[in-house]
Amino acid sequence: MERSFHKEIEQLRQGDNGKFQGEGILAVTKAILQSGVGYVGGYQGAPVSHLLDVLFQAKDLMAELGVHVEANSNEASAAAMLGASINYPVRGAVTWKSIVGTNVASDALSHLVSPGVKGGAMIISGEDTGEGSSVIQERTHAFAMKSSLWLLDPRPNLQSMVNMVENGFQLSEATNTPVILGLRIRACHVQGEFTTKNNKKSPINSIDKADDPAPFEYDRLAHPPAIYAQEKIKVEKRLPAAQKFIVDRGLNEFFDGRYDNLGIILQGGLYNTLVNRLNVLGLGDQFGNSDIPLMVLNVPHPLVPDQITEFCAGKDAVMVMEEGNPEFIEHQIHTLLRKADIQTRIFGKDIFPTGGEYNAEVITKGLVDFLGEVEPLAIDQEALRDKAAQLFNDKEAGHGVMDGALDKPLPPRPPGFCTGCPERPVFTAIKMLKEEIGDIHIAADIGCHAFATYAPFSMGNSILGYGMGLASASAVGPMLKKRTISIMGDGGFWHNGLQSGVLSNLFNQGDGILIIMQNGYASATGQQYIPSSTAGSDTTPMTSEIEQTLKALGVKWLRTVRTYGVSRMLDTLREAMTTEQTGLKVIIADSECMLARQRRIKAENVEKLKRGAEVIVPRFGIDEEICTGDHSCIRLSGCPSLSIKDNSDPLRDEPVTEVIDSCVGCGLCGEVAHAAQLCPSFYRVERIQNAGGLAKMMAGLRNSVIGWLAGSERPQ
Amino acid sequence: MSDLKPVKILICAMGGEGGGVLMNWIVSAAWRKGYPVQATSVPGVAQRTGATTYYIELLPEALPQGAAQPVFALIPTAGEVDVLVATEAAEAARAAGNGFISPARTHLIASTSRVYLMPEKMAMTDGRVDDDKLAVILAKSAHKSVLFDAHVAAQEAGAIVNAVMLGAVAATGVIGIELDDFIAAITQEGKAVESNIAGLKSGYAIANGEKPAVEEPDNVIAISEVSTKSDFPENVQAVLDHALKRLADYQNEVYAATYLGHLENFKDCDPELLKVVARQLALRMSYEDIIRVAQAKIRAERIQRIRQETGAKPGDLVIVTEFFKPGVAEISDLLPSGMAKSLIAWGEKNNKIENFGFAMEVKTTTVTGFLKLWFLAKLKWWRPKSYRWQIEQANIEDWLDLVDSASTLNVNFAIEVAELARLIKGYGSTYRRGMRNYSRIVEEFVRPLLTAGAIPSEATGQLKHMRDAATSDPDGVTLDKELSEIRTPGTIAAE
Repeated sequence: MERSFHKEIEQLRQGDNGKFQGEGILAVTKAILQSGVGYVGGYQGAPVSHLLDVLFQAKDLMAELGVHVEANSNEASAAAMLGASINYPVRGAVTWKSIVGTNVASDALSHLVSPGVKGGAMIISGEDTGEGSSVIQERTHAFAMKSSLWLLDPRPNLQSMVNMVENGFQLSEATNTPVILGLRIRACHVQGEFTTKNNKKSPINSIDKADDPAPFEYDRLAHPPAIYAQEKIKVEKRLPAAQKFIVDRGLNEFFDGRYDNLGIILQGGLYNTLVNRLNVLGLGDQFGNSDIPLMVLNVPHPLVPDQITEFCAGKDAVMVMEEGNPEFIEHQIHTLLRKADIQTRIFGKDIFPTGGEYNAEVITKGLVDFLGEVEPLAIDQEALRDKAAQLFNDKEAGHGVMDGALDKPLPPRPPGFCTGCPERPVFTAIKMLKEEIGDIHIAADIGCHAFATYAPFSMGNSILGYGMGLASASAVGPMLKKRTISIMGDGGFWHNGLQSGVLSNLFNQGDGILIIMQNGYASATGQQYIPSSTAGSDTTPMTSEIEQTLKALGVKWLRTVRTYGVSRMLDTLREAMTTEQTGLKVIIADSECMLARQRRIKAENVEKLKRGAEVIVPRFGIDEEICTGDHSCIRLSGCPSLSIKDNSDPLRDEPVTEVIDSCVGCGLCGEVAHAAQLCPSFYRVERIQNAGGLAKMMAGLRNSVIGWLAGSERPQ
Repeated sequence: MSDLKPVKILICAMGGEGGGVLMNWIVSAAWRKGYPVQATSVPGVAQRTGATTYYIELLPEALPQGAAQPVFALIPTAGEVDVLVATEAAEAARAAGNGFISPARTHLIASTSRVYLMPEKMAMTDGRVDDDKLAVILAKSAHKSVLFDAHVAAQEAGAIVNAVMLGAVAATGVIGIELDDFIAAITQEGKAVESNIAGLKSGYAIANGEKPAVEEPDNVIAISEVSTKSDFPENVQAVLDHALKRLADYQNEVYAATYLGHLENFKDCDPELLKVVARQLALRMSYEDIIRVAQAKIRAERIQRIRQETGAKPGDLVIVTEFFKPGVAEISDLLPSGMAKSLIAWGEKNNKIENFGFAMEVKTTTVTGFLKLWFLAKLKWWRPKSYRWQIEQANIEDWLDLVDSASTLNVNFAIEVAELARLIKGYGSTYRRGMRNYSRIVEEFVRPLLTAGAIPSEATGQLKHMRDAATSDPDGVTLDKELSEIRTPGTIAAE
């Protein structure tokens, strides 16, 4: 795994009145232990990966508490695991990245909600939307509404998030309904403090096991005729119970303000940004005091009609802050007020953007527009507008300085393949193949390999979801003269690609080329282990091998190629492209994730140096005198360790390529120099520390001969 | 309502640099002081070398037990950042462009070093953003700024960049956390304590002006003794000096003398034209071939440079492996013309020009490996008898003739014709592409104009455009477009 959590694990052990200091998602992890969960699972993905990572590393603590921890093969598997809480009074939590994970999980989720749960069931969903997001922008809220799940969106501070986990489990049990705790990306990564409680053991757990299985109860099956009754129970029993619980426990929060003819209803996750804006505009302070009354929806679904109507009644206008599209909350508020015949004006998506994050600018503009609409007010509108303008002026000034100095905009700096990444050479080979035979339809996929959509490779015709690369090309292949190339990571293969892609292709006698990047981990999310992981002593050994699996499924044309061997990869691709043989052609591009490999090798080398053993460290270099500054090598690689620098040749002014110190000597540069017949300026250096006596003596002899030869060649 | 205002710190870094470590040091130092603090980030996949930001708000005051807790923002806002840390100049400029560096309040701490963006690196010529322009952006933006090469400073201190940046943050004096608090935070974290503290102190001293960011080199780069060629103007003396040394090394003194002979024709031309011709001629006359590569690879001082680059200490062994793949072109370069022509004909017939070669890895730290290159380098005497030599010399003559006849019509156009030689460089496919582009521009544009004997006023600009087009994409798409526009009747007149 990419990160070690030893210090955090100590924090997870804290008892009553301890002080937890750290990241939001780890605070939530502590909170689920405080809530006495019996099992935890999920599928990794930013921003919630750390929840599972820390629990896998906290093996001892989990064993003490009897918590079963499972790395589910995908989100559907995780959602189905919550089925344990249908029949047994055991609490469980699973986590994944939304919206994508919720999409995958949705079949199991529907079947979970319909019969409902005895033990509290919680889904901790990483809401990856807004700045820095890596997935399509959709709302988890829609799933909560259509499946009658309760959605929690606590204020983004550690204590509120922790309280909501504890309340959430109780809400789940009080209403027999699973709950979703939606955490935005910045809330997951927020550093803060909260006061801890003792961890609790589940009444039944992997140590104190139940004597008997649950009895047969037809009503606990999501199967007709029980489903018809369950549909009614969801609305007639569970919904009112949830609304009562929300009121009784005060889960939604109300803050008074002196302008009581106005109000703001907001999702809990937006609270901090709103308070900050009120403070800057002179309508509040640093401690959350506000001139305008606030209703904070820490539970955005279900709404409590009485709370809404009471808050709005008697006010001239209320502003609704609801991120995302469509505006489910705002629609419901309109309906509720209409039915209650309350004439308060509602401002929402008319003053806020339909899509995108509610950041400082959006909220500032929204507040000014809202307050501008509801005059006459005691607020000095002009002063307000001046304060608000400051932000936009500063932004404008920034743009002005930038545009004034640069002829064209500064290009963005998207993420990319790491130094020495084993996936890069595969795209080098594809790029070279395209130079030979022309353009190729490339079905991209989710994973690190999606970085090939950025420069210098700029390839990929579609991205249809995690492990969906091959499936997304299934109707393209038959329409094109040239075969298609589909990409899949080993993570994507096990997550979904095996069934959705490979099986479907075989079953339909499909054709086409599939490249599976076998780097041994779910790398993009932090190098979690997958069924075909081989490295790592702290996990169970490899359970399933991709090559064997493909053979068993019936793949006939199958090659495993070391990724760094660009020439061989190019030959293999060319063969796959041109062979007469029909049927799916799979190339397993095999080499370990370089980040993981380097972490292991560096530790090994430190240890070797300590005991005086030989250590060989490779890297590449460039003879500046030979480089002519065309940068073909960079266009075929894009490695961060390949950079450029001033040309020291006084007759030339184009920058030369250089290999910077971060190079790990993966070998790609040498391979590219050969495969693409690039310039001979590259060289590989192996530095050998603690070399043996004989090796040193031989080196000494060589050096004297070479030194003599070189000396005689030295220009006078 | 309270008037307490938090301090806001924005860190702009790149994934994998450890910006999170810097954030955590500040947070843990604040916790030690009992200050309310909050920090957050949007790493996501940006952790993989992309631009990423970390944002901290803290109240530089310990609040009494049980007091109301402040509410901190999770997102930085334009014009409201007190301290902005950027580990790279373009990222600092990007932050300025987004309004995060305010002249009213922002203390800017930025490294002037560059990590080039992909489009800058991919360019076929020089695609870099001008350092001076970035400097202008940063100079205009901040309330106070500390701008220095933090990577060099870190290297000197034996620390990572973030430790140096942290020292500079302490020196701002606006966040209520002193140097000693940071030393305590680093010590508490317990990782690479000594080097991190060294970096911290170095950054602190640099920001306080107690220490220059980079030790100035004692001597300005030595200007080599220029043996004046008295009959050439002053502005080309340096170029001539470099050129003559280069050509003597490349072939011999006699060859170097022919260089001056070629230049004689241009001696009395426009000095700018003379300079461009002098430069390009020297480069063309020292064209890249296997012999030249071998010469460079066996230079006595090379192994010292490589050892230094790898950080090899005395006693460490170093093995150097070179990558060659001579193909039809490289081999025929060295053959006498008859043989070379048959080989090329064979290559063209069998589609072997681009797809054939002997992949070789040669260890130049072994005697046999070194000898291979040594012998190749010794083949210098043979070079004038080779096919490539004949081709190159003929091409050079033709190019000089073009420049010469252009100079009688329009000096600026002649300069552009001379500059066109820039397209011809490199080896293998790079060379072939350059040569192809050069020939197309010459045959389709330059030569027809010269034959017609009149250079329209817009032709110089157009020629420059074509040269840029030739280097704007490797597939020649842009050049095709430029040339087809020129070919369209009436376009020249219309532009």
